[in-house]
Amino acid sequence: MFNKLFYSSPTLRLNPKIIFPVILLCVIGLFILSSTSAGTPFHSSSLYKQLIWMGAGLVAFLIIQTIRIQFFAEYTYILYGLLLLALGATYFMPAISGAHRWLNLGPISIQPSELGKIIVVFTLAKYLADRHENSNAWVVIGMAMFLAIIPALMVFRQPDLGTAVIYMAVTLPMLYWSGVRSYYLFVIMAPLISILAAFHLVSFYIWIAILILVLFLSQPRLWVGILLVFINLGFGTLTSLLWNNLYPHQKQRILTFLDPMQDPQGAGYQIIQSITAIGSGGVLGKGLGEGTQTHLRFLPVRDTDFIVSVIGEELGLLGILVVIAAYFYLVFWKVTYAEIVHNRFAGLCMIGFSALLLVHATINMGMTAGLFPVTGLPAPFISYGGSFLLTVIITVALANNIVSNNV
Amino acid sequence: MISKWGEMDRFPQQLSRRKNNLIYVMIALWLLVGYRFFDLQVLRYDRYWNRARSNSIRQVTRPAPRGIIYDRNGQPLVDNSPIYDLKIIPVDVTEDFNFELLARHLQISPDSITAILNNHNRGVSRFHPQLIKRHVRLEVMAQLQESRLEFPGLFFSELPARIYPDSARLSHAMGYLRTLTDNVLDQADPALNYHLSDVYGAAGLEMTYEPLLRGTDGVAYHLVDILGRELEEPPGASYYPPVAGQDLVLTIDARLQLRAETLLGGRPGAAVAMDPANGDVLVFASSPDYDLKSFTGPIPVDLWNEWNTGKSRPLLNRVINGTYPPGSVLKPVAAALALEKEVVSTDWTVTCNGAYTFGNRTFHCWELNGHGPMDMHHAIKHSCNIYFYHLIQRLSFADWGAMARGFGYGSPSGIDLPYENAGVVPTEEYMDAKYTSRGWADGNLLNIVIGQGDMLATPLQVVQMTSLIATSGQAYHPHLNRDHQPEPMILDLKDSTWRIIQKAMWAVVNADHGTGRRAASSGPGVVSGKTGTAQNPHGEPHSWFTGYITMPNDQQLAVAVLIENGGKGSVEAAMLAGELFDLYNLLFQESHVQ
Repeated sequence: MFNKLFYSSPTLRLNPKIIFPVILLCVIGLFILSSTSAGTPFHSSSLYKQLIWMGAGLVAFLIIQTIRIQFFAEYTYILYGLLLLALGATYFMPAISGAHRWLNLGPISIQPSELGKIIVVFTLAKYLADRHENSNAWVVIGMAMFLAIIPALMVFRQPDLGTAVIYMAVTLPMLYWSGVRSYYLFVIMAPLISILAAFHLVSFYIWIAILILVLFLSQPRLWVGILLVFINLGFGTLTSLLWNNLYPHQKQRILTFLDPMQDPQGAGYQIIQSITAIGSGGVLGKGLGEGTQTHLRFLPVRDTDFIVSVIGEELGLLGILVVIAAYFYLVFWKVTYAEIVHNRFAGLCMIGFSALLLVHATINMGMTAGLFPVTGLPAPFISYGGSFLLTVIITVALANNIVSNNV
Repeated sequence: MISKWGEMDRFPQQLSRRKNNLIYVMIALWLLVGYRFFDLQVLRYDRYWNRARSNSIRQVTRPAPRGIIYDRNGQPLVDNSPIYDLKIIPVDVTEDFNFELLARHLQISPDSITAILNNHNRGVSRFHPQLIKRHVRLEVMAQLQESRLEFPGLFFSELPARIYPDSARLSHAMGYLRTLTDNVLDQADPALNYHLSDVYGAAGLEMTYEPLLRGTDGVAYHLVDILGRELEEPPGASYYPPVAGQDLVLTIDARLQLRAETLLGGRPGAAVAMDPANGDVLVFASSPDYDLKSFTGPIPVDLWNEWNTGKSRPLLNRVINGTYPPGSVLKPVAAALALEKEVVSTDWTVTCNGAYTFGNRTFHCWELNGHGPMDMHHAIKHSCNIYFYHLIQRLSFADWGAMARGFGYGSPSGIDLPYENAGVVPTEEYMDAKYTSRGWADGNLLNIVIGQGDMLATPLQVVQMTSLIATSGQAYHPHLNRDHQPEPMILDLKDSTWRIIQKAMWAVVNADHGTGRRAASSGPGVVSGKTGTAQNPHGEPHSWFTGYITMPNDQQLAVAVLIENGGKGSVEAAMLAGELFDLYNLLFQESHVQ
């Protein structure tokens, strides 16, 4: 069995198009952490801990280069089962800050939902690659969504809305890659948009009008079209029901997103301080270590969720554009390689990893700028935080493995 | 399963279109996010730059040191020393925090500290300093600072406060500071530029000379962090240094003041002394007094209640707010009127047999056995009531009232302290209003002339009268601030009138059988005076003495002493005055030997 796990003669080939942006982002992250860690002893600073995690990430990267990608395809469903078990086990662990996210394994605790991001991508890739002949069958689409929804719901109940969003967000581009018609994806997305649009009456009317227009252009059967309209109207009215089932902190995040100024000292505080930090940075920034918002502690959680705000304040719009360019470059080449690689499973994995990265990066950056609600999704490679850093490094390691072995 | 891997070829669909579409979606997302950053950092840069600046630059008030108050010889009676509020920033507290030690230093229970912190361990408030104890003294703060490492998160904020050296207390004249409240702020003079939580003079000299003592607060601009902790000053920030309040030099002599306070020893009463030649008040003692140190901080409720409701009423400033029947110390007023109007001659004699019947009432002399034949000189010397009962019937009530007012009774002296009482000089209108026109009779006048009944005076008014007598009517109104322009107090009477009264008051202290012999001093100054024993409804009579000492260089000091329910004026009050004169003599000798 183990002779299948590794390549018979592993060679280390680093693809610069994938490695370069990652190293750039990691270095920017370390610079920012060195700025925010100023004043704390080095050995207890987040800079020091991040360096250790990067070391661990490097080791993981090298090990993964020796592993056959086929192995993951073969054992995907076993990994998936283990993920569900691990997620289930977290409910029996003591809550930390009100959430059951951690699995306590003696000296270390791990967060199975983080590695779960990779396993969900594997699972969908495997399932969709196997069913590519009838990828547009509703059974296949439904099954693929079901495979993502199960762990997503389990994570949502932990509760961890951000990770649940990630599990679902990787599903759509992977379905698209496997050949599902855009119109079907639109129909799948429609109820979600209905729910969101229902927060605002005019938006809801406009949305329903767009829905009817798309249905008209796509020419489904009449009864299917009418059914879809009614289903979406139903979802819209369900919004209030759904709203009442949200946790108070989740409601608060949505309300705060809609109007941060309604509670400037409370829930809106983070957003306001973050926007102020970014806006005050200007084009060139205040300089590393010179950000008043950051160093006078007005900016909260500046090592993790709001580290991009520090970049905005200290390195300015130029720093932000470098970060965006790096993310764009990395995802662009991953998607490009997804087309080039020979194998459907590998290509779907590339798409899944790209989506993972893109959603994390855009939601995090949009959140710091007040564009999206606060979801607690960190910025890949930059934010301080061990499990997540390891997760994104593993996705890059896997991508490098796929590309360099051209499977 | 392995075999299947080989079959997992590329999708049959044309993937490049799908790839391009995904990249377009990505570009759209990044354009959206990127534009948002462009919007914040370029288009709305100024607004957020200013907001970040006002977040972190704070105007910090630098309190001006309050003026120091000295006695006439330059001895400080009150100085400044900051006190501290102790706060803890909950988020900075670690397991190392030594609650036991802190609680011991503050003399509170450790549980009360942890309770405060537990109430603020979530939300934004855990970043803000939480008040643990107000008004910690400098010594305690210094001790805590020494073991700083045991108290992570400990934080002091400084408040200006008064400190009182251990010498004369002068509590009532000095007054105290209070923290500004909304009410006071609304009524305050805008020129004084108060801020909420400033301190202000709420009584006494601190109140009168508030504009002088207060100074002008400075303004600095500081970089502060989210906790409001001050960091370095930003470069180029303007700074307006505080301008200290002006010092105040009093006319008080701390040595005499301390002696008077010690002699009163907490008995309800008052002692006041002034230089008739310029109105300088050298002694201003009201007893019982209160410790001004109690006012640096909140006053415990029970202490405040005791001060206000207790029988001895320590908050009452007896020198200017205590109104008492002056008793026999008022007799010179009637004597002066009689002499001035030439109603009687100096040898006009009344025989005192201890009692006098007027209408259907019998009035007694304090000497129940009678003084025998009394002329004016002896009537004052022996303080014979019967003589004055006869005398008042030859005088007009209105003239008597005018003379009493000429001596300063019935109106405030104008001393530089707030809320002075005017006392009462009864007039016919006053008596009519109080008793109706049929409710009082000339019999009441018999009481009034000997300083009983409706006549009320403050100890300060009594010493004013004595100043006039000592200077033959060329005195000054009293004042406490040395730089205060003294206001002349003139009573234009014949020289002979003054001489007769002065001679009689000399005899009171210095002749055999004079009532004020206990006030005598061995010299070089010569003491004259008048005793008073004022009947009152509250028990024992009030013991009064007023007099003046004249030094070889004509320097004078007028004194009034009142001891509530102290019995005969010839005993307690006269003795106390005598001790003051002794010290005055001693100090005079010391200063003239050099």
